[in-house]
Amino acid sequence: MEIRGVTIDDTFAEAFTMRAARVVITARDARWARTAALELTGFATSVIACKCEAAIERELLASETPDGRPGVSVLVFTMDAEGMGKRLVERIGQTVLTCPTTACYDGLAGAGERVAVGRALRTFGDGFQASKVIGGTRFWRIPVMEGEFLVQETFGVQEAIGGGNFIILASSADAALEAAEAAVQAMAGMAGVILPFPGGVARSGSKVGSRRYRGTPATTNDAFCPTLRAVTSTALPDGVNAVLEIVLDGLDAAAIANATRAGVLAACRDGVHGITAGNYGGKLGPHHFHLREILARPAGASAGSAA
Amino acid sequence: MSEGGVVLTPRAPPGASIEAECIAPDRFAALGEREIAALPVWQGARMATLGDFFAVRGGRDARVRIDGDVPWAHGLGTAMGGGALRIEGSVGHAIGAGMTAGAIEVRGDAGDDAGVAMAGGVLRSEGSAGDRLGAARPGASRGATGGEIVVLRSAGALVGAAARRVLIVVCGDVGMGAGRAMIAGSLVVLGSAGAGAGRWSKRGTLVVVGSVAIAPTYRHACTYEPPHVRLTLTYLRSRHALAIDDRYVRGRYHRYSGDMAELGRGEILQWAAT
Repeated sequence: MEIRGVTIDDTFAEAFTMRAARVVITARDARWARTAALELTGFATSVIACKCEAAIERELLASETPDGRPGVSVLVFTMDAEGMGKRLVERIGQTVLTCPTTACYDGLAGAGERVAVGRALRTFGDGFQASKVIGGTRFWRIPVMEGEFLVQETFGVQEAIGGGNFIILASSADAALEAAEAAVQAMAGMAGVILPFPGGVARSGSKVGSRRYRGTPATTNDAFCPTLRAVTSTALPDGVNAVLEIVLDGLDAAAIANATRAGVLAACRDGVHGITAGNYGGKLGPHHFHLREILARPAGASAGSAA
Repeated sequence: MSEGGVVLTPRAPPGASIEAECIAPDRFAALGEREIAALPVWQGARMATLGDFFAVRGGRDARVRIDGDVPWAHGLGTAMGGGALRIEGSVGHAIGAGMTAGAIEVRGDAGDDAGVAMAGGVLRSEGSAGDRLGAARPGASRGATGGEIVVLRSAGALVGAAARRVLIVVCGDVGMGAGRAMIAGSLVVLGSAGAGAGRWSKRGTLVVVGSVAIAPTYRHACTYEPPHVRLTLTYLRSRHALAIDDRYVRGRYHRYSGDMAELGRGEILQWAAT
């Protein structure tokens, strides 16, 4: 398959089952909501070392938030619900509670699993905190020097998918970056999906384990490193001098497949030789996103498959 | 309520009021038309049947409509645990007393003791309500412990007295003693409150956008934008279609902590006009 002269490999992205939470942050204005969201999602590129993956899903209009203020929706992914509870308490406690004018709400009301967040953070109030039940949902009012921080007692956690990906093979670093930026722009704001790496782009794709260092969980994906073409078993076609990867986490397979489709289509441009995807031969992750299948389907109809 | 359900059409107003606690949608769901008409009601010391005062149409449905004014009928919806009850006019005392779930809608006024000791569900009156709205039954230590009460006009004395957890909203004025001895919960008054508001409150929240006399056992804390008031008012706009002015939603409030004669963990939040 070729799109605008770019070869689409007959391969698939292999993804894993994760747990996801949606955190809605509101503030006096969009700037402060975004400030808190950026802090909350900092150092959250990969579960390998960050314990969670997180990024802004989209900005919310005042009419879309529980308290009628501008907001930001953030998605957080962990490997299990217990870990999610810990990460949310740490991150909301250190980055949203501390940020002027913010309030923090659960964005997955229908999720079956719940983790305590406001219930844990309430103790910062040192006994002066108070709760309110509004519309059947409990919120905690934690007194702070500015006034009060309002946070929902529990947050929903649902099954989700992490590790969707596609890889851009380009003739130069500039061409790879331009294609990646176009892909990220095309995927920005799509519901139910995030790109957790810096600016949505990863330059350091990894393989599981190490060929040399025992105990190292992940090392450079040498098969895709142009500088190692002559000294390793390379996966790079001739003419490829730079590679960038887009990693996607989503609330479901459809969200990842739709975003992958939009991103790959945008990335097919001058200077790009091919688009491929990372997998482990189907042995590790149950969710497989076949690039050609996704691109052959009409927009909105594509979905990954569970092996 | 859509067409269908059980319809009770009042016959000529009786000489004396009746106690009709049998009118509860969740109980009607299991009864046929004749069985509903045969349910007992009390008129003073005399036992009668529901059919003596209402023409009954329909059965085995948890949607009940009363087709007219029944200010002489008390205790409707007592302890109801689900379904929907709509009164197309005014109703007597103690509507929704002790209800735990479901929805009651009164198109006219509600009498005294509406929603006393209710624990869940929604009670809405498009007119006014009498005394002790959402308060405690006589001699009881707790008033309403859950659910939501919305009154589009005014309410009488002792609204929310001894209430806990419930959310009560009165779009007009309330009489004396609003929120007296509240244990917890919220009372929102979009008008003014009479004398003695919030006295002996433990943890209750009393929001007043009009005038309210602050008891000497309350202490001024600050003037700020309480986020939970904004959330509550935004919720009330969307959930109950209340036309609440932006000034109140986005506004600053004077916070008074009290009642210091009690726990002192309650609050009166009075809208700061400027």
